Amino acid sequence: MDYAWSDDQSAILEAVDALCERYAGASRAIALDAKGEWDVSLDAALSEAGFAEIALGGDTGSLEAAMVTECVARCAGTLPAGAQLLVAPRLTGRALPGPVALVSLAHPGPVRFGDRARTALVDAGGEARLVSLVPGDTTPVRSNFMLPVGRIAVHGGSGESLGPGSGDALRRWWRVALAAELVGTMQAALDVTVAYVKGRRQFGRAIGSFQALQHRLALCVVQIEGARWLTLEAAAKEAPEEAAATAAAQAADAANHVFRETHQMTGAMGFTREHDLHVFSMRLQALRLELGGASAHLRAIASSRWNAPSRV
Amino acid sequence: MEFDWSEGDETFRRELRAFLDAELPPDWAELSADGPGSDAQSTFSRAFCAKLAQRGWLTQNWPAAYGGGDATPWRHAILSEEMWRVGEPRGSQYMNVNWIGPTIMKYGTEEQKALHLPRISAGDVLWCQGFSEPEAGSDLVSLRTAAVREGDDYVVNGSKIWTSYVSGAEYCFLLVRTDPTSKRHRGITVLLAPMNAPGISVREVPAVIGERYFHELFFDEARIPAGCRLGPEGEGWGVVSYALAFERVGAMRYARAALTLDALAGAARERGMLGDPVVQEKLGAARCAVEVGRLLSYRVIDLRAKGSEPTPDTNLARVAGTMCENAVSDLALEIFGSESLAYGHFGESYWRLAMPAGVAVGTTEINLNLIASRWLGLPRE
Repeated sequence: MDYAWSDDQSAILEAVDALCERYAGASRAIALDAKGEWDVSLDAALSEAGFAEIALGGDTGSLEAAMVTECVARCAGTLPAGAQLLVAPRLTGRALPGPVALVSLAHPGPVRFGDRARTALVDAGGEARLVSLVPGDTTPVRSNFMLPVGRIAVHGGSGESLGPGSGDALRRWWRVALAAELVGTMQAALDVTVAYVKGRRQFGRAIGSFQALQHRLALCVVQIEGARWLTLEAAAKEAPEEAAATAAAQAADAANHVFRETHQMTGAMGFTREHDLHVFSMRLQALRLELGGASAHLRAIASSRWNAPSRV
Repeated sequence: MEFDWSEGDETFRRELRAFLDAELPPDWAELSADGPGSDAQSTFSRAFCAKLAQRGWLTQNWPAAYGGGDATPWRHAILSEEMWRVGEPRGSQYMNVNWIGPTIMKYGTEEQKALHLPRISAGDVLWCQGFSEPEAGSDLVSLRTAAVREGDDYVVNGSKIWTSYVSGAEYCFLLVRTDPTSKRHRGITVLLAPMNAPGISVREVPAVIGERYFHELFFDEARIPAGCRLGPEGEGWGVVSYALAFERVGAMRYARAALTLDALAGAARERGMLGDPVVQEKLGAARCAVEVGRLLSYRVIDLRAKGSEPTPDTNLARVAGTMCENAVSDLALEIFGSESLAYGHFGESYWRLAMPAGVAVGTTEINLNLIASRWLGLPRE
């Protein structure tokens, strides 16, 4: 057992942080959102630095890919980090042309980066399908959730099958990747809120000195740290079904809690496009709905751990 | 980063489970229904701990110089998990080995070490702790029980409350104020008080959470020999901080919660409820809470294994442990419905013993205060 980052892992995170310093951050996310774009430069920079295949490295694997995914999310990177760094390599053994969109036929609707995805990994139930997309396959959808969104025209016969059982594998890795993105995004939402309550003064004192806020922020920390370690463990153990569902359920549930608390504590300022919170908080809502949301993840825990019958 | 147990650790856990299977009597569930402070469990703990001692496991966490096994914090965490999981058959003796013994090693005189450590290692002595007072709960440093030096004795006057494990306790790890003019942390002293000292009397405070769970200790001109003082006079707060740092994670609440939750899922299946998506979601949410409790505790054990000073990770683990107890114990009542009204029923027993989780050994609010100040750096005023 060892719950500390190795020197190599710390070095990886520092390198990703440095890249994100140049190619990510809340203001860049706001600018990209206004133009309806994804972050081509960050994508290229991550690839160039070798992070696109970090899950497949000799000395690195799923755990490091999850750490990098979390880091990119925390830095407001506008690209599908989880799908590209974790899900695609684990399912296909290689990095896929981005943006990569994850699609579930059981949960139809617009998806992240579905406005321009070049590749889709489709959960078609028993199997996953790998679909190369052409421009006509994707339709942008206007969205307020601080990420490019669109509909992708795919069905159970699109593209190539990744083999029997690959549907389960896709859902397992999707949950781990999603949890990593949720954790990074929650952390950033909490960080900007903590900074805000330390600086915002009312009644002659910083509002962060009020116990009514302190306890609620401390509970957010417990929820986020819990989700973080569940995610890292699930990634390190190669996404076992129960662990993946547990990480996703904890993260999705915490996400809404963190959303409500951070917005309550930042008051009117938090709703504006002039404060960074909305970049992270709005993304939290988009992420927590994926793959059926917390309810589906929770039921997946019950079916995996206790063989609870699932409704068809 | 490594999330798997070593082969040696796995083997140890298997041996320990086999030992528990052999040593816990068939009526253990009944015997432990009244909680770890009950007479039945206190009596049982003496025989049980003696057997643990024979295997070298009771004080495996102690240094070899004191007859221990130099076990790593991880190895000792396995022992704590397996014990708590089945309802803590060590009774109060987990305190002896986790922090009373190690604190005596650090601050005790040679006489104190020679008197106490062999008995703790043999598993045949029971201790209680005298910390809280009627006017000093979460604000422990406002304690007022007075000890005045007279010749070779301290004369103690005052009272302690909420003391557990008084059944058969021979010693009390007692906090007193030796300097009546002192305030807060200064002027506090630790006494390793023999419970048979003249002037000490005990009253049980009846409580709904278990038999003989709470007691009040009264000190009326009680004479405690000065040789019982642990550490320098007036420096007791440092001693108790050291002691409690050893008790960082405390009870491995998630371990029993995990086992109970699996049993609850089984009960839900038998009662035809497991297909209900609402029940599934509640079970799943409780499982999340259990796993968060486990991982945040493991993070603390890892820090300890690496020799780190105590960090607010401890407070996170404690809050998470309480949340997992609450999530599982809510379900423990709900799954069985009104069957839970019967005293000693599976769901009721678990729920009752889990009830004080957010209050025992530091309230949730104190832990949240510490997370706010030490983790988030939020200002006090």
